[in-house]
Amino acid sequence: MANTGWDEFEIGAMLRSFDGKIDDIAGTLQEDRAYSPNNSFVASVADWRIEKPVFNKDFCIDCQFCWIYCPDISIISRDKKMIGIDMDHCKGCGICVEVCPTNPKSLLMFPEQADEETELANWPAKDEEN
Amino acid sequence: MSEMKKIKNLKEFSTSADRFEGANLLCPGCAHSIIVREVLNATNDDLVLAASTGCLEVCTAVYPYTSWDASWIHIGFENSSTAVAGAEAMYNALKTKGRLKQPDRNPKFVAFGGDGASYDIGFQWISGCMERNHNMMYIVLDNEVYANTGGQRSSSTPIGSSATTSPAGSISYGEKMNKKDMMGIMAAHNIPYTAQVAPNKWKDMVKKIQKGFATEGAVFINAVSPCTTEWKFDPKDTMHLTDLSTDSLVFPLYEVINGKEWNITYRPKNVVPVEEYLAAQGRFKHLFKDQYKHMIKEWQERVDANWEYLNRREEARV
Repeated sequence: MANTGWDEFEIGAMLRSFDGKIDDIAGTLQEDRAYSPNNSFVASVADWRIEKPVFNKDFCIDCQFCWIYCPDISIISRDKKMIGIDMDHCKGCGICVEVCPTNPKSLLMFPEQADEETELANWPAKDEEN
Repeated sequence: MSEMKKIKNLKEFSTSADRFEGANLLCPGCAHSIIVREVLNATNDDLVLAASTGCLEVCTAVYPYTSWDASWIHIGFENSSTAVAGAEAMYNALKTKGRLKQPDRNPKFVAFGGDGASYDIGFQWISGCMERNHNMMYIVLDNEVYANTGGQRSSSTPIGSSATTSPAGSISYGEKMNKKDMMGIMAAHNIPYTAQVAPNKWKDMVKKIQKGFATEGAVFINAVSPCTTEWKFDPKDTMHLTDLSTDSLVFPLYEVINGKEWNITYRPKNVVPVEEYLAAQGRFKHLFKDQYKHMIKEWQERVDANWEYLNRREEARV
C-alpha cells in the first residue's frame, strides 16, 4: 500500500480494520484494539481545528451529553466518567460546549494556539443570571 | 435470538465501545456520525453494514482508510439496500444448510443511505427489499439535499428551501415541491416496523433501533440529520437545530407497526413555532423578505395539518 499511488488499487479493494483476528469488537475498548494502518483511527484531523475545546473536570457532572453528541468519537468516557478529549480526531465543531449543561460550563472553546493551563486557571465563574 | 443490550441511561450507554472511528472526513458538526454512533452502539451483536453513495460513504471510506470496525460494503448509489438484502439471504441459506462457522452469532443487517439515495435513486431497490421483507434495517440519513455533490435538490427537499438547482431569487422562493412522504410510503408496504427518529432524542432513538433489531423482517428508519453546510448554520448548533426540528413538529417522532398501528413517541411540552425553525437556517432566509413572507404561514399550516393527520392515524388504528 505504501508504494502505490492514490489511483493504483484493484477494483473491489478490501481494507481490514484490524491486524489479526478479533472476536468481540463491541466488547473491546479503543485502547485495547489492534488497529491496522488502514483504520482511520490511526489518522488525524487535528489540523482542521481553528478552535479547540478545553475540558475542566472540576465542574463536570459526568452527564455524558458531550459523549453522545460528539460526531467524531473524541470525547473519551471510561467507567461512566468523562476523562478527556481525543485531540487527534476532534474537528473543533463545538457541539460538546453547546450541550454542556453545567454552570459554568465544563467545556469551552479556545483558539487552537491557546495555552490550556492558562485557560484553566482563568476559567469563568458561575453565571448568576441564568 | 441474542440478548438485547441493556441501556438504562446515558451513563450506562457511555460505556459502549464505538465501532465507528474518528478522522473520517465528515464536516465538523455533521449529524450523520451522531446518528451512526447511536445506531451501532445500540447493539453488541455483529454487524453487516452497507452505505449508498453519499456523504457518509465518501467520507468514511477514503482510500487507504476505513472508519468502520465492522463488515461494511459500498457498491453503488442505489443498491446498499439490495447488497445487504443479498447478504441476509446468503446468511439464511448457509444457516439452513448448517454451513455457518459460528451459527450462534446473530449478525444484524443494516443499510445506510442519504435522502438522495433513498427518496430518489434507490427508491425502487428499497421498495423491493421491503416488499420481500428481508430481515434487515434500512436507515435514511435525511438531510433533505444532495449535500455531497454541492446541494442539489432531492425529492426530500422541502418547499421554500433554496438549493443549487432550485435557487431562491427575485422571482422564485426556491424549491417548489413538497417533501415526499417517505414514511407513509414505507408504512404502506405493511412492513413490521417503520419509525422516524432524531439524534437529539437519543433514548427514543435507541429504543426504536433496538425494537427494529428485535423485529423479524424489514425495518425502515428515517433519521433527521441537520446539515451544517447546506442548511447553512454554525457547526456548533447541530443539536439546537435538531431540537428545533422535533419541537416544531416539522420532524415528528413516531413509529408505525405493521403499517397499521401508528404511535407518536414524542409530544413536545412546548411546541416551537415553525418560524423559529426556518429562521435558524440560511437556506430559508429569503422567506423572511416581504415578498415571500406568505410561505411561513403556509409552512405552519402544513406542519399543523400533518400533526393532526398523525394524531388521527394514531387514534384510528387502521
